[in-house]
Amino acid sequence: MGERTMPGATFDTLKALVVEDNVHMRTLLRSLLLALGMKQVYEASNGTEAFIVLRDKRPDLILSDLSMKPVDGIAFTREVRLSEASPNPYIPIIMITGHTERHRVEAARDAGVTEFLAKPITAQNLFLRIAEIVERPRPYVRCSGYFGPDRRRHAEEDYAGPRRRHSDPKDDLESR
Amino acid sequence: MTEAKPAICIPPGSYPVIAGVEAIGLLRALRDPVVVERAACAITGKVEEMRLATLDHVGRMEQAGADLCTIFAEAHEIRGLAGNAGLTATRHIANGLCFYLDALWRAGAKADPHLVELHLDAIARAARAEDEATRLGEEVANELAALVGKRLADLKAS
Repeated sequence: MGERTMPGATFDTLKALVVEDNVHMRTLLRSLLLALGMKQVYEASNGTEAFIVLRDKRPDLILSDLSMKPVDGIAFTREVRLSEASPNPYIPIIMITGHTERHRVEAARDAGVTEFLAKPITAQNLFLRIAEIVERPRPYVRCSGYFGPDRRRHAEEDYAGPRRRHSDPKDDLESR
Repeated sequence: MTEAKPAICIPPGSYPVIAGVEAIGLLRALRDPVVVERAACAITGKVEEMRLATLDHVGRMEQAGADLCTIFAEAHEIRGLAGNAGLTATRHIANGLCFYLDALWRAGAKADPHLVELHLDAIARAARAEDEATRLGEEVANELAALVGKRLADLKAS
């Protein structure tokens, strides 16, 4: 990853990892990435396998299910973001899930997921998420209890809570 | 009380991102109508496989007896697969059952076996139904969702 400007290079050098315990859904996601033109798509059926593939193959993008055993998508994301053994804690992770329960989605967000994609899968929705990652990569935030993409999607002009970022105005930090 | 350290913000570019010719090529492909159509066809080509997989999980759910953990796990698989199998009502009903069981467990309450049974029956009927009956299944899904909403509201009020 990073700025690569080799003449003639195209995105077919990009590598993706699909993490999904359901073989039918896994092959569907793989088919979509191949249809997109990706040449290197790796697969894993749970978070443990996925971390091994991540270290061996160094993918540029991860599509992960949420519910898997023994290690689910939330624990896997946390390991990618926080483990010293993680080869790329900044890798974009698209969480694909049938879960609609709010607390599960929030847990995934707080583990450091980059984008969410709700099932049923459509090519359009998946492609929109990938385009979002490429076009508008989010800043990463490191604070006590969290490392991952900025969870503030929108700047709230009337935000009245405490300001805790180095990038926030100094007066705000000092007045806490 | 210990004061939390300020958060550090790391802007894109100071960490590796997909950029340069790779980004341009990828974005071009993502917006290419031919590529989008090819990907949509890949999904359409999997509908029957997804339908059979959904039915397989419906069978396993029916075999689960009163084991709510297995019922939840199978219903979760069904809601994940059924949408890509064209079984919209099945997905909605399975999602309602998962929502109900999840909310109960979080509240430490017991499930109403009759309400669970209603969902299981409705999921099985909707998954095996022909197109017209599936549309009727949407009405069943809405009725069951209303019932779940009422039960959970009662639980919250008690």
